[in-house]
Amino acid sequence: MTQIARRCIPFTPFEGELAKASVALVTAAGVHRRDQPAFNIADELGDLTFRTIGGDAATADLMVTHHHYDHADADRDLNVVFPLDALRDLARDGVIGAVAPEHVGFMGYTMQLRRMYEETAPEIAARVNQESRPDVVVLSGG
Amino acid sequence: MRGISTVLVTVSPEASRQMRPPRALHPVPFKVGNAFGRPSMRELQTRVLRDALGLLTGPPRPGEIVDREYPEYGAP
Repeated sequence: MTQIARRCIPFTPFEGELAKASVALVTAAGVHRRDQPAFNIADELGDLTFRTIGGDAATADLMVTHHHYDHADADRDLNVVFPLDALRDLARDGVIGAVAPEHVGFMGYTMQLRRMYEETAPEIAARVNQESRPDVVVLSGG
Repeated sequence: MRGISTVLVTVSPEASRQMRPPRALHPVPFKVGNAFGRPSMRELQTRVLRDALGLLTGPPRPGEIVDREYPEYGAP
């Protein structure tokens, strides 16, 4: 696997047109489908796993499991941390080309930063790259 | 493996700055838990998302976090 020097900024130029680009969301806000295992908030060290979310998922079928930020607003309207509906609006309006077929949610709180950096992050990147290969990723927390 | 163009939306800019994001938008004065705005404010959520995507086509600012104010958000 390519190793990125810690001092480098991982910058990939955007080439092309946003109106033709597929866009995926990757969130650390603890978003997952209701029928998926919840993130393990009982683990004091944090949960290093991630969940994949289809681009056609209804936001009503998604939820937040996270114990290190107040997600009351997200519980009311998931778009405040995972703007899938807003992304669909942009695709409908031709601002972007498409909503990517797959998105990712994980729980960003961890006491295992090295493992998050060396394991979870590359696994998410590989999944995004292999499965949907969007033109753009929007990364966010809670 | 070629990378994927990425933009970060952060409400914790000081923490995010330490990770040297390729592009980043800090919506002001959004609180943690409201990275894209408040509930039921779809126009605002969409505008934040659109502004974040706009950083892809603007002048490259690797490592820089762009503050943008959204008065309609109200007080944090």
